[in-house]
This record gives sequence, structure tokens and C-alpha cells, in this order.
Amino acid sequence: MADEKQITHGSSSFHDEMAEHAHAHHDDHHHGNFITQYIFSTDHKVIAKQFMFTGIVMAILGVSFSLIFRLQLAFPDTSFPFLETLLGKWAPGGHLDPSFYLALVTMHGTFMVFFVLTAGLSGTFSNFLIPLQVGARDMASGFINMLSYWFFFASCVVMIISLFISTGPASAGWTIYPPLSALPQAIPGSGLGMTLWLVSMALFIVSSLTGAINYITTVLNLRTEGMSMDRLPLTIWAFFLTAIIGVLSFPVLFSAALLLIFDRTLGTSFYLSDIFIGGELLHYQGGSPILFQHLFWFLGHPEVYIVLLPALGITSEVVSVHSRKPIFGYKAMIGSMIGITILSFIVWAHHMFVSGMNPFLGTIFMLFTLVIAVPSAIKAFNYIPTLWKGNIQFTPPMLFAIGLVSFFITGGITGIFLGNAALDIPLHDTYFVTAHFHLVMGSASAFGFFAGIYQWFPKMFGRMMNKRLGYIHFWFTFISLYLVFFPMHFMGMGGVARHYYTNTAFQFMEAFLDIQVFITIAAFIGGIAQFIFLWNFIYSIFWGKTAPANPWKANTLEWTTPLHPKHGNWPGDIPKVYRWPYDYSKPGIKEDYLPQHIPDDEVEYEEGYMPDTKIPEREEIPQRERDTEETE
Amino acid sequence: MDAQVLISFAQVLLVVIFGLVCLNLYLVFRLKEIDPFARWNPSSINGAMFMGFWIVGVIAIIWTTRVWWDEMVMVHSAVSEQGQRIDGMFWRTMAVSILVVLITNTLLFYYAWKYRSKPGRKAYYYPHNNKLELLWTVVPAIVLTLLIFDGVSAWHDIMGKHPEDSVEIEINGKQFEWTFRYPGADNEFGETHVKYINDGTTNSLGFNLKDRKGQDDLVTTELHLPVGRPVKFTIKSRDVLHSATLAHFRMKMDAVPGMATHFWITPTKTTAEMRAETGKEDFNYELSCQQICGSAHYNMRRIVVVETWEEYQNWLSQQTPFYTQYQQINGGNTADAAAAEPVNVALSPQP
Repeated sequence: MADEKQITHGSSSFHDEMAEHAHAHHDDHHHGNFITQYIFSTDHKVIAKQFMFTGIVMAILGVSFSLIFRLQLAFPDTSFPFLETLLGKWAPGGHLDPSFYLALVTMHGTFMVFFVLTAGLSGTFSNFLIPLQVGARDMASGFINMLSYWFFFASCVVMIISLFISTGPASAGWTIYPPLSALPQAIPGSGLGMTLWLVSMALFIVSSLTGAINYITTVLNLRTEGMSMDRLPLTIWAFFLTAIIGVLSFPVLFSAALLLIFDRTLGTSFYLSDIFIGGELLHYQGGSPILFQHLFWFLGHPEVYIVLLPALGITSEVVSVHSRKPIFGYKAMIGSMIGITILSFIVWAHHMFVSGMNPFLGTIFMLFTLVIAVPSAIKAFNYIPTLWKGNIQFTPPMLFAIGLVSFFITGGITGIFLGNAALDIPLHDTYFVTAHFHLVMGSASAFGFFAGIYQWFPKMFGRMMNKRLGYIHFWFTFISLYLVFFPMHFMGMGGVARHYYTNTAFQFMEAFLDIQVFITIAAFIGGIAQFIFLWNFIYSIFWGKTAPANPWKANTLEWTTPLHPKHGNWPGDIPKVYRWPYDYSKPGIKEDYLPQHIPDDEVEYEEGYMPDTKIPEREEIPQRERDTEETE
Repeated sequence: MDAQVLISFAQVLLVVIFGLVCLNLYLVFRLKEIDPFARWNPSSINGAMFMGFWIVGVIAIIWTTRVWWDEMVMVHSAVSEQGQRIDGMFWRTMAVSILVVLITNTLLFYYAWKYRSKPGRKAYYYPHNNKLELLWTVVPAIVLTLLIFDGVSAWHDIMGKHPEDSVEIEINGKQFEWTFRYPGADNEFGETHVKYINDGTTNSLGFNLKDRKGQDDLVTTELHLPVGRPVKFTIKSRDVLHSATLAHFRMKMDAVPGMATHFWITPTKTTAEMRAETGKEDFNYELSCQQICGSAHYNMRRIVVVETWEEYQNWLSQQTPFYTQYQQINGGNTADAAAAEPVNVALSPQP
């Protein structure tokens, strides 16, 4: 490896390229030491890996929290002495403390939504793939990109610190509705724990904004020659639109958090009014808790798409590559993503149908919510004809992509129940909601993350992950996630409430205790199966088989870089782009793929095929007629 | 206890042995360069697993639905007029959902299995088909429009104005219990406000003791409702958000400090009827809190009794008005009322 590095370092063409582009930061690795190369690096590939490793650590923590509270839900009367060893005063006698149960729920939500599925997913793959797939040497600003990671890192550190303070971490749910989150009298976690939560989130928002600005600028300005917007891989479209959503919605969360900080520390009354708690009347007057909910969900709902769109983008790419077929309806996919982006800003109050807001608002938001189901449906439907008559390669990324589509459909469909204000009345805040968003947002996005890692691992580390361990990992994860979240629909239909420390206090919920045990067992199996992934991941980084240059025979530009691309990505010129990225199994072409960077006159045709510049158009006409015959 | 330790120990031992066996096999295979799975074709296995997963999954879902049908009381046999309407809509939506999920997931897994990679296969180049795109834009749009019409009209009626002859009841939430207030003989609630609250004198709802309308108000810890009459609830909270949930009646509305919210329902079955129907003698309707509100959130339970109009009137007449109770406890001194006069807290410094 060291030799190889030397060779590329000294490669003259790279130096020429550097001189031409005169980008000072590309010289980093010449004088770079360990710190500038691996820690405070401005190379988007290193930053992507930093996001990935941090995301994985946060995911391990976030999932562990859920396993601990799953124990409580399944076995409310059983004592687990190891919990006392682990948590001390939060689990006296091996029984979880009810407010610490809420703290665990809150931290699980916060870790998974923000640190894993937002920063971990978007941070990893936007950083890694945007420059490589649009044909850029790095992000528009490597330095701001580096800041983005370090703000994220600081945010993680603050949030982790909040786990260790004496009053416990924030416990008001990941949505931190005041007054519960504003008043330490109401729950211990609303003391210092909540302050740290808000500080951490402020840092996180800075990270997210600096990252998103970079992604948008890079996609708009640094595309290589020939890479028009309608030739971008769908991954890049997804990351681009995700970044736009983030830039427009995260500042609103910041303002919501800021006003909450004011209420907590300066005694203002933005969210609080007429409160008597802990034996005394508080001075707050004229605020409204519902205002917070509006501000929170103005981010909170787009956040769902911030989490989901990158996963769908990755899936589009993976499904197409491994079916050896073009993604079906490329333009419809882009159109529906743009539709989702715009509509995601005007559906937020469907989380608040029974919050006490004016019911007329409920009607409006119900309309928009069911409208957003249309582009989502288009996306889901387009994956299926992509598989149709394909030549499906069951590689680990493909398995996870198919799993994602299944989760997206099964979890998404319950959205039309919850988006309907009248149906939301019985279902709101029951396990039906938990089932819905864990499938459509949690499981689907986690599968996007896994699909992405298995797909681009060879580009990240120059080695392959073990396929068979990938299969085992997939099947354990896929089945256990369905076993965990699908039964929750039934619990929701039985009225079992979310956020309950135990469901033995109510007659109508008691019957569902068995199902809680079942879910917990499935959750533990799924959780333990992740060690297969971790083992495969870590082992393969160091000892995996060396990857071929283009292991999946994909069309996109990242596979034209050397096995271990240096800062600057291509040693020579940046490749030019001649076509869209989905020419798989095109009739008349010798191979079953046609990379974007091959010029038209270098394309290898099948024997006996008459190359002709007009061929693609001529080929399409009879084919379309054939299609309609076959589908009708 | 000892036996348990022994069993746990044996379990751990078994796991360790299993792990060692696996490791041993792995090392042997590796040393001899044998690949025991070389003949397994991942395409066939994964493709077949997808199909198998789906078939077993559908059977499991049908079986579970049958087994748990009686417990899923939140989606069928509602006991309020509003709830029955919601249930109807739920099942219409469910029919659409089942159809969509079955078709799409079946195609997804079937295609994954059918078009699995085989030697010599070349995929069919099929980048787009505008008719298909149009089909699955227009059909969902139409179906959703129908569902929206249904939903909007139900939502409008449920959230609309309560009938004139409604029984009015107030639900008060606090950490961690519900208290109910009935307007008494004059059918009007007296004034309450958080600034009058004094838990020491049992005035925990914050009655303005000078307000004569409040002198016949009843304060109870059990919620009684007459069957067949519209009941309008006014929902309040004095500390954090709660959510008053009458699951059997399909009612849920947040209790928001500083603001009163409303919901009205018409119960259709008495508790006695439900006991006879379900065969559970201890059956009770329950009021729960479904908005995270603190450590005992899971335990904010109150029993709800639905009874005939006569039984209801009878129960009301047995209750002692709050004011009378208050005077018995606090010595019947009107000076107390003056003492309860609030200080002006608006300008007091923050704690």
C-alpha cells in the first residue's frame, strides 16, 4: 500500500493537473501529517468516513438504548440486576426507573433520527458521492466541510455527556414538547439534561447547514463537462434535494430551540402560560405550547424526508446497477422527488391533529398530506418495473435495496391512515404510529445506509466486504425488523399507547403483554445480528479481498478513480461525461453496461451490430411499441 | 435460585461450545481450502428466500389478525356514534391498503425471484413508459381524493359544534391524575383559574370561591356518562401537556395549559351492556393519557362508567358539591375565600 501511495504521489500528471487547477488545498497530502490527513482533513472522502464511523458509534448507542427499554416493556415485573450495575440509581433493584425509561426513549429517538439517519446517512454518502459522482476534485469548500464534521462531532460529544449527569438526560421525548421540556419540576431530565440537549442540537444545526450549503454549491457548480442536471445519478439528485430541505427547515428548529432556551433561562413566556406545578404558581402568561409544536414540526416533518430521500437515492442507484437495467422512469423519479421536497414543507401540522389547534387547520393539512402520498407512490411503483425482466445480481447491497423498497411500501401505506385527521384520532400516539415511522423512516433509511456501505465499501477502502456474511446479516436484519415493527400495528389497533413504561396499568392494553415479549426477543436477535455486520466491516477494512476497479460494473464516475483515490480524486484529467448513468443492458452494446465517461466513438458494439450515431433513437421507437403491447 | 444459576451457567456454556465448534469448523475448512458452500447459488437462495418470506409473512399476518381480533377494540365495535363512523372509514382505508401492499410486495418479491441472475441472461432495456407512469399517478390520486372526501366530512362533523342538548363535563389533567367537574343543578360552570389553586385547601382545580355559579359544581374522580346523549368535554391542564383519551369511544384531545380544548361524543353502549357482551364481569371503560407527561404517564387511569339517563341522574344526585366539601374541610369560613384571592403574579420575578 505504501508503495502505491508513493507512486501516485509522484505521478506527474497529477502535478500538472494540480498546477492547472491551482487549488491550494489539493496539496495537503504533500506536507500532510497524520493529523491533517486523517483528523482535520479537508478531503471529502476522509470526512465521509469520519461521518460514517461516528454514525456507526451513535447507532450502536441508540440501538442499545432501545434494547434496554425493550426489556422493561416485555418483562415489567422482572428484575435485571445487570441493569443496576450498568445504570446505578436509574435502575434500583434491577428495575428501570420510570423517568429514566422516558430518558432512554428520548435518547433513542434523538440519536437515531439526528445523529444516525440524518448526519450518519446524509453526511457519509453526500460527502463521499457528490464529488465522485459529479466529477469534482472535492467539495466547493473543503474547509467548511471539515467544520461541518467537527460541529457534528462536538454535538455528539455534548449529547453523550448529557447521559452522565446526575439529573439524567433529556426525557421529554425526541420532540421535546414544552412545558414538560421547559420545567425541571415536571421531570428531572428537563434540568441540565435538557440544556445540554438544546446546546447539542444547536451545534448539530450548524453542522447540518454548513454541510448542506456545500452539497448544494458543489452539485450546482462543480459538475464535470457534460454532466448536465439530467445526467446526474439519482443519488446526487436525492442528496441535492435533501440539502435544500435541510437549509430551509433546520433554521426553524434553531429558532424553536432558541425560544425554548429563553423560556427556560430568561423567564420569557413564548410557550408557557398559566402553570401550577410543584406546589407553586409560575409567572408565565400568554405563551402557547402549540406554537412550539408548529415550529418543531416545520423542521420535524421535512426531517422525515431528509432521512428518507438519501436512502431512496441510494436504492435507485443500487437497484438499477444490480438489476443490470436502467432505473425505470428516471425523469418521473426526479419529478417525484422535487414534488416531495416542495410538499414536505406544507404538511407539518398532520402531527398535531389532536393537539388542540384549530380543527380547520387539520382539514388543510389533511389535504396536503394525502397529496404527498402521490409522489411517494410513484417512487415506490417505479422500483418494481426496474426489477421486471432484469438480470438481478443478489449482492448484499441489492438485498438491502429490495428490503428498503418493501419497508417503504409497507410502512408508507399506513401513512394514509395517519394522514387522515379523523382516523388519526384513535391512532395518534399509539403503537400504530410507532410501527408506521419505524418501518418507513427507521428501517427503510437504515437499509439505505447498509445498502450504501455494501455498495461503496470497495471505493472507500479498496477492499471487498464478505458477501456471505452480508447475506446472513441481511436476512437476520430484514426478518427481525419486520418481526419487531409489524406486530406493533396490531398493538396500535388495540389502543396501546406509546411512551408507556408498562402496559399493564390498563385493562384494554393488558392483552398485548405477550406480543411485547415477542417483539423484544426479535429485537435482541436483530440487534445481535448487527455484530455480523460490524465484524465484516472492520475485518474487511484491513483484510478484505482487494477490490477490482469496478466491482459492480457500474456506469457512474466514482469507479473511474484509482483504487485508492488521493485528495483530488483523479490523478489525471477529470473524466468528461457523454450520457446518462443508466445505460445498462442497452441493445447492441457489447457489455451490459456503458459507463458515462466513454466517448461515443469508443463504444464497443455487439458483433454484427451496425454502429450508427442515430441508433439509440431508432432503437427506442419499435421498443416502445413492444412495451405497450406487453404491458396491456 | 441455585438451580437458576446452574441453568444460566449451562446456557452460557452451550453458547461457548457452539462458538468454539463454529470456529473450529471455520479453521479446518480454511486450512484445507474447502468451501463447503461453493455449490450454493446465492441467486437461487436469496430469490427463493424472498418468495418464501413473503408467503410465510402473509400467512402469519392472517393468523395474527384472527387470533387478536377480539383485542383490537380500537378499530372495530366503537361505542360512540362518532367512533362507529371512524371505524367504518378505517376499514375502507384498510381495504385499499391491503390491496396495494399485497400487489406491490408480491410483485417486488416475485420479480426478485423470477428475474434472478442466470447464466446467459441479459436484462431487457426498458427505461420508461409514460402510460404506466400516468397510470400510477392518476389512480392513487383518485383513490386518495375519495379517501380525503370521506375524511374531511367525518373530521368536520366530529370537530364541529356540539348539539344544544349536550351534557357538559370538564376533564382536568395534572401530573398524574385526571379530575372531572360537572356543572351541577344550574348547568353552568363556576370560574376556575390556576391562580386560585391551593392544594392545601383541596382547591386543586382553582375555583374562584366568590363565583356563585361554582357553588353547586361537582368534582369527581370517576367519569360517568349517560348513554345516547351527546356529551361535550372541555379539557384543561394545569401543568404540562396531557392527552385525554377515551379509546373505546375514539376520543383523543390534548389538554393544553393556558387553553381549553373540546371534544364531543355520543356514547352508545352502557358499561353493563359491554360486560354482558364481552362476558368480562370486571370490564370497564378507561380514560388514559396519551401525550408523554412525566414519570407516571403510563398510569394516569380513571374508570369511565356509561349508564342510562336515570342511573346517571341518580349518581349525580348522590355527589356532594365541591363547595360544600370545601367548607366542611376548611371550617366554612368565608374569610378563606378572601384568603384565596390571588396575588398578582404577572410581574413577580422569575424563580
